[in-house]
Amino acid sequence: MLDTFSASYMQRALLEIGLLAVLAGVLGAWIVLRRLAFFTHSVGTAAFPGLVVAAAWGIAPQLAALGAALGFAGLRERLARGREAEEDAATGILLVAALALGALLASDVYRSGAGVDRLLFGTLIGLSDRDIALTAAAVALVGLAQAALRRAWLARAFDPEGVGALGVAVAWPERALLAAVAAAVIVALAAVGALLVSVVLVVPAATVRLLARDVRTLQLGTGALAAVEGIVALLLADGLNVAPGPAMAVLGGAVFGLVAVAAR
Amino acid sequence: MTAPLVRVRDLSGGYRAGADALTGVGFEAGPGEVVAVLGPNGGGKSTLFRALLGELPHRRGAVELAGRPAYVPQTERARLDFPVSALDVALMGAYGRTPWFRRLARDDRAAARAALARVGLEAQSGERFGELSGGQRQRVLIARALVQDAPVLLLDEPLSGVDAPSAARIEALFEELRGEGRALLVATHDARQARAWQRVLCLNRAQVAFGAPAEVLTGKVLQATYGGELVVLADGSTAVAVEHHEH
Repeated sequence: MLDTFSASYMQRALLEIGLLAVLAGVLGAWIVLRRLAFFTHSVGTAAFPGLVVAAAWGIAPQLAALGAALGFAGLRERLARGREAEEDAATGILLVAALALGALLASDVYRSGAGVDRLLFGTLIGLSDRDIALTAAAVALVGLAQAALRRAWLARAFDPEGVGALGVAVAWPERALLAAVAAAVIVALAAVGALLVSVVLVVPAATVRLLARDVRTLQLGTGALAAVEGIVALLLADGLNVAPGPAMAVLGGAVFGLVAVAAR
Repeated sequence: MTAPLVRVRDLSGGYRAGADALTGVGFEAGPGEVVAVLGPNGGGKSTLFRALLGELPHRRGAVELAGRPAYVPQTERARLDFPVSALDVALMGAYGRTPWFRRLARDDRAAARAALARVGLEAQSGERFGELSGGQRQRVLIARALVQDAPVLLLDEPLSGVDAPSAARIEALFEELRGEGRALLVATHDARQARAWQRVLCLNRAQVAFGAPAEVLTGKVLQATYGGELVVLADGSTAVAVEHHEH
């Protein structure tokens, strides 16, 4: 097994898994507690057209993803505010539109070919130093946000109706949480792609939540599970010659199913 | 004469501009007073509380409070699968006075434990909130309000659907809090219970009446407050038939 990790690209993949596991542990807990799983998935998918353009123009994919995600957030907010559609419906409409636009750009405009797979499902074994550095920066930012805002996030998630009366700030911690989730999604895109960010940021936390009795256990358990699933997926990918992202998705889904059955 | 802890004048407002959910409300609550807020579902009880908390988007009129009120929501709205203990919830009462860069003080932890002891749940402090009974959960939420140490408490149907021991404990606690000079506004459907308290405020999208229970709790006022939901019992007393509260 040590042989498997002797190559530098595998060591980078391991490092990325470790960093993403920290993001999954810290933020994944808040994503499931605040019911932001759909938002998380939607930010990833909305980034797809941006990734296609970035690949074709040779610009940083994270920058293009950020632009696409901001555009998505603005349109979603506009649709929901103007009551043209409910929030979930607005998100669904924009998701389909983003995916269709991305597919159109990839197939008919830029003829991205096989590169589309990488944009949709990422590649843990093809990461650059810049990808790792961005993930490390996101870990640092999210760690700081968690240290400063943990109580506000907990109170809001537990009792959205009564949190204002507790004298706890609501609006800016909420915006900070959404921004932290969006940042985590964007840095995870290189490793797991536009369609599979939930595999890292949602599925492990949803699994551990079935068992955890407090938030600290949920965060530590989620981080550990995400790391183990990432490493096992990497080994499976290496052994079976499959892509690591989808391997992690299948593994994460299977573990969730087993835990859900066992926890009944 | 002691200054009131809550003074409301000509309060009107709602959640959307031009669509008032509540109009013409005016009342006072002094230290040591429990005010029963009676009204049908949709009658404006929760809207009044939102207005007192400063969270009603569109509000007119004057609201004066002696300090930030503590709010106790209905326990049936709580998320039972949430991974927090009774002590975690009680500690939330200290969040508002703890700057974001500080850890919770040892005194606050002691206050949370004392508040749980006061509502009779010291032994359950480590238990998961969602695994407690409905009455116990309500008492934990009251403990959270006690940790806030607010002069005014707003309680949204704290006695609805709770077990008898919890109800007795909560009512005894109301008396203690009265004795400490706090003012309590208690949303309730129970007109009989309201008779035991100092004031009654009847709402049905507007203020119907406010005053001492003996003056306010008449058949005529209750009819105006509850309309078709009012049931007159065979002994001539009145009760209120309440359907499930929609949220």
